[in-house]
Amino acid sequence: MALRGGNRPVSGSSASGEGVATPVNARAVAAWSAACLFVVLFTTNPAYKALVLAAAIASLAAGAGLHRMRGLLTGVVLIAAFATLLNFISAHLGATVLFELPASIPAVGGPYTLEALAAGLSGGLTVGAAIVAAAPFSLMLASHDVMDALPAVLSRTGAAIAASLNLVPSVSASFVQVSEAQRLRGWRPRGPRSWAEVIVPVVLTSVESSIQLAESIEARGFGSGPRTALKSSPLGSSEWLLVAASAAAVITFVAAHVAGWAADWYPYPALAAPQVDVVSIAACLFLFAPVVIWRSRA
Amino acid sequence: MAIARISHLSYWYPGATEPALRDVSLLIDAGLTVVSGPSGGGKSTLLRVLNGLVPHFHGGRIAGAAEVEGQDVVSTPTRRLARTVGFVFQDPELQTVYDVVDREVAFGLENIALPPREMAARVEEALHAAGIDHLAGRSVRTLSGGERQRVALASALAMRPRLVVLDEPTSQLDPEGASMVLDAVRSLVEHGRAAVIAEHRVERLLTHARASVMVEHGSVSAAWPVPGAHAIPSVPSHSGPVAWSLAGVSAGFGGRIVLDSIDAVGHQGEVVALSGPNGGGKTTLLRLIAGALSPVSGKIERRPGRIAYLPQNPTALLHRPTLRSEVSLTLERAGESDPPETILSELGLLAVAGRYPRDLSCGERQRAALAAVLPGRPGLVLLDEPTRGMDAEARTALVALVSRLRDRGSAIVLATHDSELRSALADRVLLVSAGNVVESESRSVPA
Repeated sequence: MALRGGNRPVSGSSASGEGVATPVNARAVAAWSAACLFVVLFTTNPAYKALVLAAAIASLAAGAGLHRMRGLLTGVVLIAAFATLLNFISAHLGATVLFELPASIPAVGGPYTLEALAAGLSGGLTVGAAIVAAAPFSLMLASHDVMDALPAVLSRTGAAIAASLNLVPSVSASFVQVSEAQRLRGWRPRGPRSWAEVIVPVVLTSVESSIQLAESIEARGFGSGPRTALKSSPLGSSEWLLVAASAAAVITFVAAHVAGWAADWYPYPALAAPQVDVVSIAACLFLFAPVVIWRSRA
Repeated sequence: MAIARISHLSYWYPGATEPALRDVSLLIDAGLTVVSGPSGGGKSTLLRVLNGLVPHFHGGRIAGAAEVEGQDVVSTPTRRLARTVGFVFQDPELQTVYDVVDREVAFGLENIALPPREMAARVEEALHAAGIDHLAGRSVRTLSGGERQRVALASALAMRPRLVVLDEPTSQLDPEGASMVLDAVRSLVEHGRAAVIAEHRVERLLTHARASVMVEHGSVSAAWPVPGAHAIPSVPSHSGPVAWSLAGVSAGFGGRIVLDSIDAVGHQGEVVALSGPNGGGKTTLLRLIAGALSPVSGKIERRPGRIAYLPQNPTALLHRPTLRSEVSLTLERAGESDPPETILSELGLLAVAGRYPRDLSCGERQRAALAAVLPGRPGLVLLDEPTRGMDAEARTALVALVSRLRDRGSAIVLATHDSELRSALADRVLLVSAGNVVESESRSVPA
């Protein structure tokens, strides 16, 4: 019998329990995700945000496969649409009025403007890009991959978090089971207070489960002192390339911004098209690096 | 020389006035030691003394002495004793940290900062000792309960402990899973390791046991032969009119059909046992009969009347401040005037009626859940693995209770792997497997 060597073969396959994702290094993924988040939060320009979103979707498709992204993309679209709608109905600013509701209607009354819609879309792009950029942690990495990538000082914290995450499925299963059994015992949902008969047992069971888990990991020497790891996660040449591309994206974008090329964008008071700049676009293009690196491994 | 030595040890849980262990003295040598005794007697507490979880994790007050391999349990933290004593708990799902088998087995080794180059060899050795070499690299979530429990055993063995302690490791498992674990324990002992096991299904281990101790009311005594392995007496029945029926019923989840066009019927005053492998559809069938799950197609009919449903892990239901109020709640909702003491007495729980149900021992909690669900006069009783984790006394009480309900005219359906329970109670056995339901000729059909 031989154990699977290195940190790669078990990574992606266990991340979701279905399908096989491209094996990746958690530290390199963290560097790339951080670069994406930095750019998308640093600029207000929707052109660059859209580029980051495109890079994140293309990279994730290359690493995890489009079929595994369906649920995520649906969620992202819904969340982005909600963010857009929220801004559209709450920010009654801007010069281009599309329609108007009577101001006497609380909260939603007032002018509805093209500028508010554009600002909402930009916000939706931000949220969407941020979610997709962080998605490789759930779609391409298992919890132990992330733990292995943590610095030694956070290793114990990481282990405790990984252990507690294992309780999440049992909590949701417990909720279904308890609510069903309580119904058959005569319970009916009649107002918020009645839910105590379901919530209390579920919470108590979860607390008991976490105590048992704590007992179990204590019995296995947790907290003895510094930890080691069965498998380390060294960066290979392609992972270094990804880290370098991520760093290049951040440095180039910041430089372009400082130089005044990466102009920000404000939709108010009157809508104008966002300005784009070649250097800033080049910075965003660095974020497409995983498309090449992860696809070549798949 | 003894591996573990306990001398005049008494222990009180925090806030308790009565000790959970009373003046216990015990020597544990190499080989297998079987610990038996009724639920709530102190078995789990005694086992937790061996690795220091009592008193270090649970707190409380301790008197007397205990040492393992020369280490004083009272002054040595559990995390240090982990190198000497491996521990396997009841529930395989509540002792998993990582999601890949070999990583999970290595967790303890990582905690004691073993160099990675030594770790891989230790993990291989432990997987081999637990008989699960083939599971290396597998996702833990894809394993059966028996496989997961053997992963827990391998995790304990990876530390190369002098002593392995197992606290009812098969109580949450089906017969196949339990066999896997007990075979692995037997193999360990045959290879010269020391093990202590608290277990209700001890028959298979007895020929390998060096010693057997009985823990009752916190006191320990020698016990040969191991008690509790007696058969449950069978009770005859007289069935009446149809109480529930399914005609051409199909059901499933997320587009997957679990039961496909099945027909089944049950009568008043009749016990129908559902048998079959895990995942075969027994729980789905129970939920259909209960009305908790709607069928995709087909027709379900049941006589009007109260339904009493005992789910798997029924102790999750308990939430009232006392066991008596837990039973009263069900009776009030059912509009029945029986005193709660009737069922509490029947299940041997009168002495703990005023206690918080979640503070009871595992076996007592199981009986408490039965008491919470089954008081009064339910028309239809549905029990999902009711004897899981039960000791012999509780199982006997359950049989008496179900027999009484049946004799009063309740229709009873129980899903169980427990062949003794089926033999004692079932008028008919339905085999539920691969989406189909067929009537079995024999009550003792294997699960």
